[in-house]
Amino acid sequence: PPVLSDLGYVPPDGGWGWAVVFGASISIGFAFTFPKAFTIYFKEIQAFFNISYSQIAWTTSIMCATTYGGGPISSILVNRYGSRPVVMFGGLLCGVGMISAAFCTSILQLYICVGFITGFGLALNLQPSVIIIGKYFLKRRPIANGLAMAGSPVMLCTLAPLNQFLFDNFGWRGSFLILGAILLNCCVAGALFRPIGPGTAPVKTQVTEEGKDALKGKITEDGPMENKTEEEGEKDCFEKVNQYLDFSLFKHRGFLIYLIGNVLMFLGFFAPIVFLAPYAKHTGIDEYSAAFLLSILAIVDMVARPTTGIVANSRWVRPRIQYFFSFAIAFNGACHLLCPLASSYTGLIVYSSFFGLAFGMVCAMLFETLMDLVGAARFTSAVGLVTIAECCTILLGPPIGGILIDTFGDYKYMFIKCGAVMVLAGTFLFIMNYYNYRMLAKEEKERKAKEEDPKSVRTENEGKKNWNKDSIQDGPELEPLKEKREGLKKEMNGT
Amino acid sequence: AGFIKSPLSQKRLAQDSVELYCEAIGNPIPEIQWWFEGNDPNETHAQLWDGARQDRVKINATYNLHSTSTISIANLTADDSGMYECRASNDPDRNHLSKSPKVKWIRSQANVFVIERPEIVTNVTVGPDKVTLSCSISAPQLPITGHKWIHKEKTLQEDSNSGASTSYTIEGTMEEHSGIYECIFEANPQIRGQVNISVPPQVTAYKKSEHGNEGDTGVLTCKNPSFPAVTTWSWHKSGHGRLENASGRYIIKSSGNKTELRILKLDIEQDTGDYFCNATNSLGTGDATVNLRVRSRLAALWPFLGIVAEVLVLVTIIFIYEKRRKPDEVPD
Repeated sequence: PPVLSDLGYVPPDGGWGWAVVFGASISIGFAFTFPKAFTIYFKEIQAFFNISYSQIAWTTSIMCATTYGGGPISSILVNRYGSRPVVMFGGLLCGVGMISAAFCTSILQLYICVGFITGFGLALNLQPSVIIIGKYFLKRRPIANGLAMAGSPVMLCTLAPLNQFLFDNFGWRGSFLILGAILLNCCVAGALFRPIGPGTAPVKTQVTEEGKDALKGKITEDGPMENKTEEEGEKDCFEKVNQYLDFSLFKHRGFLIYLIGNVLMFLGFFAPIVFLAPYAKHTGIDEYSAAFLLSILAIVDMVARPTTGIVANSRWVRPRIQYFFSFAIAFNGACHLLCPLASSYTGLIVYSSFFGLAFGMVCAMLFETLMDLVGAARFTSAVGLVTIAECCTILLGPPIGGILIDTFGDYKYMFIKCGAVMVLAGTFLFIMNYYNYRMLAKEEKERKAKEEDPKSVRTENEGKKNWNKDSIQDGPELEPLKEKREGLKKEMNGT
Repeated sequence: AGFIKSPLSQKRLAQDSVELYCEAIGNPIPEIQWWFEGNDPNETHAQLWDGARQDRVKINATYNLHSTSTISIANLTADDSGMYECRASNDPDRNHLSKSPKVKWIRSQANVFVIERPEIVTNVTVGPDKVTLSCSISAPQLPITGHKWIHKEKTLQEDSNSGASTSYTIEGTMEEHSGIYECIFEANPQIRGQVNISVPPQVTAYKKSEHGNEGDTGVLTCKNPSFPAVTTWSWHKSGHGRLENASGRYIIKSSGNKTELRILKLDIEQDTGDYFCNATNSLGTGDATVNLRVRSRLAALWPFLGIVAEVLVLVTIIFIYEKRRKPDEVPD
């Protein structure tokens, strides 16, 4: 748990930061909800181009895939240019994509304009928004994250009826034109992202909370490499790539834990939302009441996110925020496992409320926990790598659920599968973070012991060698994750 | 030569059809013929050919690895009752007029009984919010083992009573449940009756209000899901009278249960307004109204420009605000 920042400066934790949070919530809202709200146009476009449902559904799939897959590129660009130019360019790209989509004459052109261009623009919106919150907040970061993520349900509640209204009044071509203009508002959000940084202050040689920067194996570095250093001389190609996208994160224990846990979780995260309305209709509920369930979910979600942020910021939870996150995931899973028991409409309303609560809790802390593990400076690269890994499972989740439903003809297996996956992910994260916290506490103790040593004025390189010699328990860190479990057992028995 | 499959004896109702099937094997491949002997004691055997009995008889034969032949007789009458014989022979002299064949034709027989169609009295009774259909056989000659009601290939009701009448009740009005209903009496052979719920056209518009873009093609659709099907559709426009197919910019495509009016090159002034689709069938008429709104091509342009202007203004304000604050702010 970070107490000291590795940014090289003290974040304002307020002031202009709240304007940044507002801008970020707009950006994040668009990025997450635009594909969902787009589905309103499917029927009309299907009829116009004479294509099947799966063909038109590819548009949103491509959009989602590009939004998450474009993560690393986004990270590289932010590492190089900072958040503001990237978001403004992303907003411009989204706008251009939708405006050109208004003049499309074939479904292939739609795939490109709406799928790739707009999707990539949204990717350039999503990552930098999340990153810049880490740059402006530290003490109040969970609240800032919760508020920024709350933009998503708010945007969903406004975009869905707005899309319907636009479509009724202007047809789909006119709507795309106007949506393009609305997406240009992301540029406004980007303009709010005033750059902040250490300025001309020297890069501190402070050890990051992980202390694992020194153990990068093949890469020889002088000092933490989060900021662009001026020593271009001895760096080889690998290091140059690392400068833009920190691949050394894959040796970072906390990052790997987060990555595996989240990739697992996303398998069961979105499917229940996709199938909630069809499930309700399947049990005999009419269309409007089924849609109302989703509205309840969105409203509870809207409230849950900032609330979770405030709770996560409190004195008791913040140091153990990873446990809170794992609990939220497991709670989510438990909701899904209990859903098949709710067959009446009231039961489904209760389920929707709890689901909305759990969903909001997880989403609010999604990026906060990553920042917490990796540190705000390396977060830029971390978020890019995480989103591209999650991309696969996010896209796979609903189709797998769909296959389960089609094979068994019953929705409950899909809910059980989602619930089981999430409970598993939550438990995994809980155990591994317990291990991680213990290791961090140990390293902290050792670091403090060394600092009290009068010979503590030494370069990082010497420190690295000593780290290697002294700490045997760092061994498992460098081995693949499978052996980490044995390492955990060894640790528990050995020390 | 020998028979692999012999024709089966069957009971049929008058006006139904019957099919007899025969299969024979031999080397060389035998020829199959169909012969008939009526119930009249004076009658002798007579051969049947394809097209006999005023084209009611159809014979379909194949001679590949072995011989097969199917004879079907449509629109049965009481005179069709009798003994049908399938004969096969592969003797080269089998049809010789003077020589008598060394090997006789082998024969296989089946009896066909044609029973007079029993008269079925059908009735449709309309009650308060329900409709009752009933079928009864006036002179039941066969033992009945059950009843069944079928609509659109789905079984609505089944029982195993032996009564000569059966009824089925539907909740709702005639207009909601129009169509063809079949009452089936399980017996040998099966007796089917048909009850129709017929109503005037229940016309509805696919969408009460349609939109189209200027210059595009607008499509207005009306449908009639009720029975019987519509014989004539017509489209009218308020203030214009009747719209004719292929006149000017109008194309009308109609079928028994749907009609489509296409307007080419939509014009904002001329084409906006209410359109009426009118349907006629044997029981009456029905109509529906569709409202068409034509959007100008540039309708979406004004909001678009408005929002773009707003974005530019906001971005400018934010940047100006930042530049003015910079000298006062201490860099972090």
